[in-house]
Order: sequence, then C-alpha cells, then structure tokens
Amino acid sequence: MKRSTITLALIFIGMLCQSSLVYARIKLVALPERENTVVSLDHPTVTLVEEERTLTLQKGINQVDFSWKGVHVDPDSIRLAVLEHADNVKLINVNYPPNAQALVWDIYSPAAQQERVRISYLLANIDRVVSYETVVNNDETHLDLGSYLVLRNFSGESLTHASFRLDYGEAFEKSIRDGETKRMLFFEAPRLSIQKRFTFDAAIQPWDPSKLSTNVGIPVHYEIPNNTANSLGKHALWGGKVRLFQQDGHGSTIFLGEDNAMYTPMGQNMKLHVGNSRDLVVTQRKLQEKHTNVRRNKKNRVILYDSLEHMQVEIENFKDKNATITVLEPMSGEWKIIKTSHSYKRKNAKQIEFTIEVPAKDKITLIYHYVRENVRPS
Amino acid sequence: MHTRSSLFALILGLIAPFTAAGKVDLVMLPERDRVQLTIYNSADLTLVREERTLTLKKGINRLEFGWENTLIDPTSVQLRAPQHAGRVRLLEVAFPPKVKGSAIWTIESDVDGPIPVEISFFTSGISWRAFYMGTLSPDEQMMKLQGYVRIQNQSGEDYQNAETRVIVGKIHLLDEIAKLARREAPYGKPGYPEPRGRGLLTNASDELKRKAYSQMAVAEGAADLAAAAKSIVKEGLSEYFLYTIEGTESIPNGWGKRLPSFEADNVPVENLYRYEEERYGQVTRRLVYFMNDEEHDLGAEPLPDGKMKIFHALGQDAYLSYAGQVYTKYVPIKEEVELDLGIAPDVEAEPILMEEHSENYTFNNKGNITGLDRIQRWDIKLENNRSIPIRLEVWRNFPHAFWKLDNDPTNKGAYEKVDIDSVKYVLELQPNSTARLTYTLTLYEGDRQYKR
Repeated sequence: MKRSTITLALIFIGMLCQSSLVYARIKLVALPERENTVVSLDHPTVTLVEEERTLTLQKGINQVDFSWKGVHVDPDSIRLAVLEHADNVKLINVNYPPNAQALVWDIYSPAAQQERVRISYLLANIDRVVSYETVVNNDETHLDLGSYLVLRNFSGESLTHASFRLDYGEAFEKSIRDGETKRMLFFEAPRLSIQKRFTFDAAIQPWDPSKLSTNVGIPVHYEIPNNTANSLGKHALWGGKVRLFQQDGHGSTIFLGEDNAMYTPMGQNMKLHVGNSRDLVVTQRKLQEKHTNVRRNKKNRVILYDSLEHMQVEIENFKDKNATITVLEPMSGEWKIIKTSHSYKRKNAKQIEFTIEVPAKDKITLIYHYVRENVRPS
Repeated sequence: MHTRSSLFALILGLIAPFTAAGKVDLVMLPERDRVQLTIYNSADLTLVREERTLTLKKGINRLEFGWENTLIDPTSVQLRAPQHAGRVRLLEVAFPPKVKGSAIWTIESDVDGPIPVEISFFTSGISWRAFYMGTLSPDEQMMKLQGYVRIQNQSGEDYQNAETRVIVGKIHLLDEIAKLARREAPYGKPGYPEPRGRGLLTNASDELKRKAYSQMAVAEGAADLAAAAKSIVKEGLSEYFLYTIEGTESIPNGWGKRLPSFEADNVPVENLYRYEEERYGQVTRRLVYFMNDEEHDLGAEPLPDGKMKIFHALGQDAYLSYAGQVYTKYVPIKEEVELDLGIAPDVEAEPILMEEHSENYTFNNKGNITGLDRIQRWDIKLENNRSIPIRLEVWRNFPHAFWKLDNDPTNKGAYEKVDIDSVKYVLELQPNSTARLTYTLTLYEGDRQYKR
C-alpha cells in the first residue's frame, strides 16, 4: 500500500460496546479489496468516485473505518450504499475521529454475511480536459478532427482498472497513478465541412490602418457545425484547446494556430479563431455629420436635434481567394438606418452587422447612412 | 544524428503499466531518416517533423520517449504513419508521476514489421526574421531591393540536413511553447489553472532574441559562405506564406544562417513627401512608395515585415550613402509599400495663418453669445530644395466636422476631402522650386453648427 491512499478497515465489535465506544481506530484488520471503481467525469469541474467493496459482516454492529490520508476527498460528500441486503443491513451511525482524515461507519447486520457496499465520494485534483487536433485541407473547406481526452490525476490516490464514465459514449477502463497524466485518443471525425470567416469590428479595430506603423490583422475564424449533416451532432463538444494544422500540398502540414474552443451544444457551430489576416485591409471613414431638426427652448438654446451621418467602409482583399467578412458597426442612441449599399442585420440595439463577400484581388466599398434622433447637446 | 542533448532517447519494449522499471527488450530508436523544420517568426515556435522507421508488432506496442534538456512542448507530440493510415494509432501518451521529460506511448498497430512513421512536435528556440536592403539609384527613380531570411538556432538541439521552411504570418497562440516545455505537469494540474496570457503572444522573448542576436555576427559570416545562391520556393497557405528553402540546411545549436530570399533590380519608386502636423509635428517626412506588383519587378509574394536598410547610390563609381533604416510592415501582393525615411529637411511646408475674423454671431434670449463663424485665411508655403522633382502631400485636420473650405483658384495640384475633419492636397514640385496653397476656412462654432 502506498503512503497516501484510501484504506478501508473492517472491525467487528459486535454487541459489546455499543454506547461508549472509544474510537481507537484499529488499523487494517481485514481490508476488503476495492472492486468496480467508477470515476464519473461528467461534471465539468468535480469528479465523483464510486467504488464497491465486499464487507464480511458479523451479526450485530460492525465498524468500518474509512480513511483517506493524503488524498483529496471531500468528507461531506462520502456516501455509503448497501447493495445486496438493503432492507436489513443498516448504516446506523457515521463517526469522525479527531485529527484524522477518516470516518467510522457503524453498520448493523442481522446475521453474519457478506455484503457488497458502494462508497461514493468527491475526489479533488483529478479531472479531465479535452484537446483537439485538426488538419484543414488545402482549400480550407474541410478538416479532420481528432479529439483527445487528457486525464490528470493529482488527487493523492492511484486508481487501478477504474472505469471512467463521461457524459456521453461508452465508459472505458484505465489505470492512472497519482501524479500521472494520460492523453488518450478520444474520437476522430474526418472531413468535416467548415466555413472560413473574417471579422472587422469597428468598435475594436483601428479605422485607418495606413496611419499605423504596424499591420492591422483582421481576425480569421473557422466555423464547424456540430450537426449530423456534418457527421457530428451526436453530443455536445467539450471546450478545450484546439491546435489547427493545414495540409501544405507536399505531404506535410503547417501549423495555423490554436484557440480555446467553447463548449458547443448539438446543432451549434464551434468557432475557432485561427489568427489574423494581413491580406484583408479595412479602412473606415465618417464622411458626413449634419445636425437637423433642431429644437430650442424658450431661451433659444438647442435642446434636441437629429444627427445625419454618413459612413464608408472600404474592404480590400489582396488574397487570390474570395473572402467572406463580417463587418460589425457600433450604433449609439436612437438610430435609424436611412440607406445602405449592402443588406445588414440588426444584432441588438447597439450593433449592426454586414456580411460582405469580397472577390479575390478586389475592393468593396460599403456605405451606410443613418440618423441619430433626439440627441441632446452635452 | 549528433544531438547535443538527446532529444529522443527512445526505448522500445514492453512496459507493464505500473512498473516503470520493467523495461525489457530495449531497442534504441533508429536514426532520423528525414527532418523538416517549419519556423515561425511571430512567436517562438517551430514545428519539427521527423521521419523514422519503427519496428512494430501487431497489437499493442509501448515506447518510451524523453525530451529532457530540450525546449519541446510535450503536449504537441504526435505520431502518424502516413503509409499505413488508420492502421497505426497512437492510442495513449502517459506522463508518469515524478519523472520529468519522459512519457510512455501506447501504439496500436495492425501491421507487423518496420513502419515509416512521422513524429511531429513543437519546439522553441529557433527563430527567423526577414530583412531588406534597398539601394536607390542616383536619380532616386529606381531602387534595387534585396530580401533576406535570417534563421537562428538557440533550441539546444543541432539540426543537420534539415529541410527548412519559414512561415510568414501572425499566429494565434494560447500558451508560449517555451513555457509548456518547462511545465512540471505537461497539461498542468487540476484546480490550478496555469497563468495564461489572454490574447496574442506574438514575439519571441527579448532574452531569447538578445541571446540569438549576440551570436549573430560570428554565425553570419560563417553561414554566408555556405548559403551560396539557394532558391526559396514561396506559396500561400491560409493566411500565411510558406517559404521552403531549397535542399537541406544544417544549423547547429547557437548558429545562424542568412539566405537570400529575392532580388529585384529595378523597382520604380515614387518619392513622396508628406506634411501632417498632427501626425509628424511641424516637419516634412520623406517617403518612398512603390507597389508590390509585377510592374515594379515584384508581386510574386507578399513582403514579410522586417527592417530595411536604405542606401543611396551616388553615381557611376558606385559609392553609397546610407539613408537610414526603416521598419516595413507586411505588404500583401499588389499593395502599396510606404517606406518612411524620416524627416526631410530639404523639403518644407509651412502653414501660415494670414488672417482671422469672426462673424454671424448668434445670441440667446439673455443676450449671451451662443454661436459664431470663425473665418481663417491660410497660406501654406512649400519649398522643394532638392535637385529632383518630387510629389508632396499636405494634410490638414480640423477640430470638428462643421466647416467649409474655399480654395484659391490659383492653387495647383489636387484637393480631396478625406473624411469629416480632414483634407489632403497633392502637388508635384519641380526641382528647386517653391509653391503656395491658399484657402479660406470657415469653422462653425456653437449654435452655428445647427444653422446650415
């Protein structure tokens, strides 16, 4: 037995000293072997361990000592379930000895018999993370997705032949020592359809890149639909680190970048930010601001007006492929669009969105005119 | 393969899951058949791919690999068998407790015998950068442009006969590879999230750069001899450009290499001078313009960002004068390149306020002023004291969007309203000449902004 481990000791005490028990914990009388250990990793942050042991009970009250020295068990989470004779084998009492990471169960049995029990507890510092490796094809239309499950066990306890249960898929058997990390191939999904998108957010990015001494990158991301049409969609995709590679057309790959994927429910898109494009250049200018519909108070002071504003967004595509760019424009106050060169979508009260297809080696000029109504002079 | 610090002391054999000592059938990993380096410059990152021949048996095989004293990110290690796709799988990588720099692979193989495999991983410590030399012709109408690639190896590992590629582009990373290489637990520990820089990690650490550059002088001289006219193949991939250097390169640890990337002998350039007080102060800047396209003897590839040293050829005897160093941004194909060579003392622009008055006052009911028009007459004195013709841009920015500008009919050149509060004049000036721009600016203040 290792220094830090969970131990279970069974002490027969019988009918003798029921009331005035002194919990001098007798060590390891007859240690029942751990059977059927199930580790549930379906909760995103907390790991539940359930293990079964066969106790050899005497008639009367039996004391079972459960200790977890050096193991990160949450004492309040420990449960004991009687599996075979639940109607007459009863857990009578739970006692916590002083200054020890342990507890003592008083279990009543009407007869000398073997009894299987299941002990459940929350174990800290053991968890799983998911990581992904993807290879995008040369045209950036498809990718091969590989998912890895990484078990990290720093709980203080080594688990031998434990069954690991996730929130979907089959449980699998694995041994993992304390202090060990294991990366396992989880699933592979070849040739998933993807879409490549560029995003310009006028609230975040500079408007005139030509006046800056460094390049302004236009963020690029891929969208992977987690649906059955895309041979996924059987379960949610866990969040985790994604590393993206691309086939280089010469039998090798290049590394495109990495991102932290968010948890993606079925039917939704996994969005992966790949990097920033310097081959798309966006220049935004305000071309007009005019105050109209001016209203004054009795003192002849302006108290309300409307502001007519014209905006121009130039998108240059220096790539030899078409690019689909999402242009996000912040809107303030009580705005109304008067005219746009391209159709737009109202995202919310403070933002509109254009989706623009810019042909290869070409330039698109997006124009939108709007009025901000009922502006009060500051 | 001579490695300074054994990168892969690989042992092949059967290892019982819980007995690290039970390594039997020790088989040294065979030599690398081929190694390929893909080096990034926006982050301290190199993708290494090596080919080796592993002798596997059908079923489950276990291998131990080590990466101690290297700068390898253990979470990035992958194994593939391209010739037996789907039939050789790296099922599990176990990082045993209390053992640093070592892991045990579980490989499932449907094939018996020697199998060529590809092992790939990320390392840090190898960097590259682009730099340029530009030589202007005596009349400054043409420029010879030479691009170079400099590679530096500080990875702790010697790379011999490596197929070398460099990536132009800005990569998005969550973690620094050098940090991952030093982590106690390769994937971190539960409950203690590794400090993670949100956003972009873009540059190799300064320390690493300093270290790399300190050895540059020695390495550069030596490497130059070896790099005799190798060609570099360039191609676009996603948002990157991939430069593949012809043949293979040997780059021992601590050494660098300089390779010519391209050379364009006759790039027609435009000399442009710009005056914009808000951006540069009360000075004129000298800029050199050209397009990254075929008409300018370029356009085959984007130009990576890097430093450019500009020289000026003085005449037939080919003496040079050094004009200065500029940092150039990344330039996509067909985009304009703007090189800012700094302050130009021999071209002057001086805006002079000649007259100012106000009118059209508005008042409220108490009789206080609520608005007015400010009328300014400006003369901009322009001087080209150079012996070559130049183009000059003068930018004027106004405090707000409510103004009117009347140009004097004698003004030469082009006038353009750029946006709500800025305008631009562009003029051609003959050698050793002066010119003048005159305009009247009406600025509407206060209530007058609502009156038009």
